[in-house]
Amino acid sequence: MHSHMNRLSGVGPLDFIKRLFTWWNGSTLGTLLQIRSKAVQVGEDEYGNRYFESEKLRYDGRNRRYVLYSDYAEASKVPPVWNGWLHHTYDELPSEIDIKVHGWQGSHVPNMTGTPFAYKPKGSLDRGGVRDAVASDYEAWSPGE
Amino acid sequence: MTDLRKLNIDGTEYEVPADYTLMQACEEYGGAEIPRFCYHERLSVAGNCRMCLVEWVGAPKPQASCALQVKDMRPNRDGTPANIRTNTEVVKKAREGVMEFLLINHPLDCPICDQGGECDLQDQAMGYGRDATRFEENKRAVDDKHMGPLVNTVMTRCIQCTRCVRFITEVAGVQEIGLVNRGENAEITTYLEKSLTSEMSGNVIDLCPVGALTSKPYAFNARPWELDKVDSIDVMDAVGCNIRVDSRRDAVLRILPVTNDDVNEEWISDKTRFVWDGLARQRLDRPFIRKDGKLQPANWDEALAVVAEKLSADPSRIAAIAGDLCDAESMKALKDLMDSLGVRNIDCRQDGSLIGEGPRQSYLFNTTISGIEDADAILLIGTNPRHEAPLINTRIRKTWIDGNLEIGLIGEAADLTYTVDHVGTSAADVATFAKSKSGFAKTFKAAKNPVIIVGAAALRGEAGLALLEAIGQLAKSVNLVRDDFNGFNVLHSAASRVGGLDMGFIPGEGGLATDAILDAAQQGAIETVYLMGADELDTSKLKDAFVIYQGHHGDNGAHVADVILPGAAYTEKSGLYVNMEGRVQLSSRAVAPKGEAKEDWAIIRALSAKMNRVLPYDSLEALRVKLMDDCPSFLSIDSAPSLEAFDPTTLGKAGELSTDMLKNPIADFYMTNPIARASNVMAECSAVIAGLNPELNEAAE
Repeated sequence: MHSHMNRLSGVGPLDFIKRLFTWWNGSTLGTLLQIRSKAVQVGEDEYGNRYFESEKLRYDGRNRRYVLYSDYAEASKVPPVWNGWLHHTYDELPSEIDIKVHGWQGSHVPNMTGTPFAYKPKGSLDRGGVRDAVASDYEAWSPGE
Repeated sequence: MTDLRKLNIDGTEYEVPADYTLMQACEEYGGAEIPRFCYHERLSVAGNCRMCLVEWVGAPKPQASCALQVKDMRPNRDGTPANIRTNTEVVKKAREGVMEFLLINHPLDCPICDQGGECDLQDQAMGYGRDATRFEENKRAVDDKHMGPLVNTVMTRCIQCTRCVRFITEVAGVQEIGLVNRGENAEITTYLEKSLTSEMSGNVIDLCPVGALTSKPYAFNARPWELDKVDSIDVMDAVGCNIRVDSRRDAVLRILPVTNDDVNEEWISDKTRFVWDGLARQRLDRPFIRKDGKLQPANWDEALAVVAEKLSADPSRIAAIAGDLCDAESMKALKDLMDSLGVRNIDCRQDGSLIGEGPRQSYLFNTTISGIEDADAILLIGTNPRHEAPLINTRIRKTWIDGNLEIGLIGEAADLTYTVDHVGTSAADVATFAKSKSGFAKTFKAAKNPVIIVGAAALRGEAGLALLEAIGQLAKSVNLVRDDFNGFNVLHSAASRVGGLDMGFIPGEGGLATDAILDAAQQGAIETVYLMGADELDTSKLKDAFVIYQGHHGDNGAHVADVILPGAAYTEKSGLYVNMEGRVQLSSRAVAPKGEAKEDWAIIRALSAKMNRVLPYDSLEALRVKLMDDCPSFLSIDSAPSLEAFDPTTLGKAGELSTDMLKNPIADFYMTNPIARASNVMAECSAVIAGLNPELNEAAE
């Protein structure tokens, strides 16, 4: 699953051209410049996304917080704790706060919609489900011989 | 002239017939809308729901408009006509009060009630009720009653309008529902927790203004607003009841009556109403061909090719029989094809009767169904209208209950829901009756509008022609075929019969009729038999013949078939049906035929192309035009033929009258055709009735 999300990873001239003309392969050069000039990296999560925080305060008295995706830019790749930090739910970095992880909690999975790993509900024909009887069904006669 | 009285309704003066009720006067003349629960046009007036209250200016209390007649309205003191108000504060308050009382003991279960969306109480609570409840006490609960396999009861919802009681007693003629106890304890019951035995019982479901009586087979199947509604014609009997077929997607989910005062008023029989579950069972949905002694699925091309080859043989060794449920178009197409092949052994009378050669009146129900109400004496011969045509029976009962009608019966005795003079049992008794001068014979001969109703089943075979001759003589002697009245009636029980006879779907020159075809097939003189929906035959005689069965249900015909061509049931095609009066009615298609099945006329048209004898029509419309050109009686749709005298002595053929009992043809009302035989609900009804009448069970065996 993870390798699938990383399908656009790799470093090379092609990668550079992609970054030049698309915004969804990592970050654009403009974003990269902006973040590098105004913010410092504060951490990195298990998926390789890097997190930045500006030094200057914004008009609301808070720093700006940034994420640079490891390869394919997809917001749901950010795990919950880092998502909380990005949105100022926590002031402290995830490494600084004690977040209780329950045994029943699964690991974070990005949104799989549109991929072969998309969720299919129980009964879905894609999952080998069987259609329920409907009113327009009828019993056909068969010669009982 | 009508007795007219002056009446002031909502400030305007009208001249209103004296025998009108206030409700009729207010609605027809004043244009007002009067809410009601217990009042019903076709039942006696009960006046117990009080919803129809109107204000009679000067009277101390509001008046129930359904129970007060215009002739009872006293003028005001100054001589001006009585003032009736339907839109004042008094009326509004009275309606709100009545509504509030009705809702006190009505559960708030509309979301799980089958009546939801077509409920009078729901609608009228919205229109005339208060916006909120003031009731804080406990509601009463009533035990549900058992009313058999058709009617579901949730008696807590009942508002005691007693429509069901009045219908079952007055129209259906069985005293099986009643109101017991008083006040808070009043409830509708079936006395002994017994199933309803009436073949009209389903109508109480329509009559019930709330969800107390609902349809058991339809329970929780659908909401009324999600159904597609199509007006159509019933084929369970030859009355041609007007029905509405409600379907969702490709499933017929219920059948309801459509009001037609000339035919079925607003009732239909239980068979008509509940047969729909048979439309989804035992369906022929693909062609079959018998290979190595076994029926095997095939495609249309193969099946038609086999049929075309078989029909190309010597026409004198081919026969065609049309069954009871066929529409006129498909019979016409089959007849045209057989004519072009030179096949003369064709017959639409699968019951084996030989009538239909003479004038059209010789096989029609000439008095017409509504004309029964003019009769003052009826002689039933060899028929049980309760089973053969329930709506004719209710019409006879309606006339009988109004008084001035006496009914005699020659044939097998049965409970017809009205008093009958049993004056004989056999065909020979008709001749005796003609000579008799006492008892019912005396009444019959003195009657102004005497009516003879003879069952089509009594006219089977050569013996039937002799009986018909005797009836013709009797008809002549009492002069019941006149220019202003025609009392000669044949009561058919097959929806397709009159249409078939009208278009001449009977043996041509030297051709064989049904019984002869079957015998010839048994002896090998006939090699190929084309059955179009013909199942009520002695199929054991067809064992050696090559049988082509075209139809919609796997029944007797399909079991002996060598090729099966799947056709459409009556809800799946638009077609013309001629009822026993000679009334041509057009049915509409509600759902599509099942699987690979096709409309019946189209199958025959395709077959004709396969045989290089292309029939001269490419569309149903063109076929209808051809049908109307060839038999002009199909031109007038929806009206019974006009009165025309004929000589009844020309009927039938003189012969020896049998002394055998004229047996009723229908042993089991619920099992008369392939659709009904496929229906679980009909099977359940049949079992219930058989359980109640063990002797009937024996008769069926």
